[in-house]
Amino acid sequence: MSALEVEGITVTHGSRTLVEPLDLGIEAGRCLAIIGESGSGKSMTARAVAGLLPRGVHATGTVRLGPHVVSLPASERVWSRMRGDRIALLLQDPFTSLSPVHTCGSQLSAALLAADKRRGRSRRRAAQRRADVAARLEEVHLDPRVAAQYPHQLSGGMRQRVAIAAALAADPDVLIADEPTTALDATVQADVLDLLTALRSERGLGLLLISHDLGIVQGRAQDVIVMQHGTVVERGDTSRVLHHPEHPYTRRLLAASPTLAAADRADQPAGETLLRAEGIEKSFDGRRVLRDVRVDLHARETLALVGASGSGKSTLARVIAGLEVPDAGAMTFDGASLPAGRAGRIPSQIQVVFQDPNSTLNPAFTVGRTVAEALRTAGRPASEVPGLLAMVELDPELAGRRPASLSGGQRQRVAIARALAPQPRLLICDESVSALDVSVQDQILQLLGRLKEQLHLSILFISHDLAVVAQIADRVAVMHDGVIVETGPTAIVIDTPQSPYTAELVASARAQSLTTEESA
Amino acid sequence: MTATTVVIESVGIQPRRRLAVIVSIVIVALLVVAVVASPFLQDAALHQDILSASLSPGAEGHPLGTDQLGRDVLLLTIAGTASAIVGPVVIAVGSMLLGILFGTLSGYRGGLLDGTVGRVTDILLALPVLLAAIVIGGVFGGGYWSVAALLVVLFCPTDIRIIRSAVIEQAPRPYVEAAQMLSLSRRRIMFGHILPNVRSLVITNMLLNVGFAMVTLSSLSYLGVGVRPGSADWGRQISDGREIMFTNPAAVLAPALLLIIATCAITVLGDWVGDRLAGDDEA
Repeated sequence: MSALEVEGITVTHGSRTLVEPLDLGIEAGRCLAIIGESGSGKSMTARAVAGLLPRGVHATGTVRLGPHVVSLPASERVWSRMRGDRIALLLQDPFTSLSPVHTCGSQLSAALLAADKRRGRSRRRAAQRRADVAARLEEVHLDPRVAAQYPHQLSGGMRQRVAIAAALAADPDVLIADEPTTALDATVQADVLDLLTALRSERGLGLLLISHDLGIVQGRAQDVIVMQHGTVVERGDTSRVLHHPEHPYTRRLLAASPTLAAADRADQPAGETLLRAEGIEKSFDGRRVLRDVRVDLHARETLALVGASGSGKSTLARVIAGLEVPDAGAMTFDGASLPAGRAGRIPSQIQVVFQDPNSTLNPAFTVGRTVAEALRTAGRPASEVPGLLAMVELDPELAGRRPASLSGGQRQRVAIARALAPQPRLLICDESVSALDVSVQDQILQLLGRLKEQLHLSILFISHDLAVVAQIADRVAVMHDGVIVETGPTAIVIDTPQSPYTAELVASARAQSLTTEESA
Repeated sequence: MTATTVVIESVGIQPRRRLAVIVSIVIVALLVVAVVASPFLQDAALHQDILSASLSPGAEGHPLGTDQLGRDVLLLTIAGTASAIVGPVVIAVGSMLLGILFGTLSGYRGGLLDGTVGRVTDILLALPVLLAAIVIGGVFGGGYWSVAALLVVLFCPTDIRIIRSAVIEQAPRPYVEAAQMLSLSRRRIMFGHILPNVRSLVITNMLLNVGFAMVTLSSLSYLGVGVRPGSADWGRQISDGREIMFTNPAAVLAPALLLIIATCAITVLGDWVGDRLAGDDEA
């Protein structure tokens, strides 16, 4: 029997339809993945199925959970009997989904007690509760000592494991995981997904996996639904969808998904050294974030700096950009000494494209004003704004708009235009594509590649995502705990990693990317 | 990659609030008219008709009666609008200008400057506004404008703190760092880039301060600080009117009610303007 069956579910917000009528079913012990980009309605579908829609958003349709039938819209009383016992929702962000002021143990035990209460069972005794909490933690491969710790004492991956244990506290039949690994570091993403897969088969759990990333469904989901603009564009068996996609959108998504195959760039002549940083040291509150780091960047090359969050890669980029003053170390740029900090630097040396498209542009300025101001610092007239916008493949008409009315990809293009306005030699891209949808990410990467050739730029590309790096970088430097553990040409580092950490990074990236050569 | 699509749109303001806002706008418009008219009313308002001292409301030619000096309460109250509104507006604007200057500098530059500004605002905040104004105003015998200037100084610490924390929140944002990468001057970054993004806070706070300053200034003139005896001023009127409260209650009630209504209207308007601007900033 199906653990979950959804018939004709429709999600609306006011007069706008977010999800067109949709059916789906999951059998116990199987996994269905819903894939889509932002705005596709995948998260709204998940939330409608769990009865947890934001205020003002309404759903209609029928949700069948084993023997129970919930016809939407359903009251909170109906849902409270379903949630936990029948269906549970695992959220994206383990940093905010756990309470910061309670220990992990007390949060788990609260979930266990609530389940007892719902089922009319007597309260478990304290000793029994402790034992149960320990058993639940072990189920998600955590040390029972975690029970006494607060969420902030744990890593993101550990927190997500605690959140999984809490979601499963009342032994639901169905678990909805909404982007469960998006907020996590690359190396732990695969572990968390593998844990979910293991729990699914051990517990006979029906798993609904929501993701923007087609790469993660391979080997984890039996069935896939691809959504776009609130409608299902393709559904079917995972390997069929991956290898013989029928809908053009699915094909586009597959083509845009970065793979680990590094482009062959052997014939690239190595230019002279443009930037050299030596002996860079930086500590924050006594914690050494950068330890004696040395980087060489050649002219006209793309060097990627890869590492987990907290590895120091962004700090190094900020030191090079002058936004952070190092404790020690020296830098040279184009043969001349480069001062630490922004004072004494000129905009035509280095520019940065930042990560978050929501705050990279001044919300009070129009696009034209932002770009014109950047042009002015280089003594270029504002009449060059349309040309610059065209160079980043934006409609010059957008000059009159404010960032609020632009998409994430458009904002990032404006940010690139602003960075290029002073005609810098070196462009630092600090996770510049990691907040974008896969297809947009692909477009921006291609744009960067073209601009690099056209303007003879050097690019320092900071990323946590090895697959993205493989697509764009000539050389890779892998950072771990404030040290560069390995440097080399991209293809060589990925194929024959020398340091254990790089090997781990490559393995986890492989586990999550599509194997293109395979044809079922 | 944000998975949850944010679908919160600006929820249209509720009908009840809309009514409150419209009423407030009308009230403020009337107040502005009264402020503009009041210089021309001073002579008529201060004209004393000794023979008809302390008439109750409804007396012929005096709808709200006359006060203890035989002056028409209605005219006097309207003529008092200028003193009730202009001073507070100047106080609110002045204290916000100081708040913008020191709050932005202290929030963006930090360090010694921030420390110094922080300590000075701490000291100023520790002073009870009313008491400090009475003592200082009393000792130096200040008139209306010197009391207003004093209130500017006493009001500005809150503004400085609010602007400072808003600037500290904006400063690490990428758009500010992008401006730093363009080697723009600090002044340009602070006042050209950051300030426009805290404007909703600036305007709201300023309007709320107008209401607060109206009450404070009237309290002071009630206590006899700042306003010359006998001039047209709501606080003064309330104070003087107490003596004839039973002969002509309107002499106290008219300015008191107007003070309450005006303060409420400006506060409602301040909230509304702030929400509108905040919505624009985020939209």
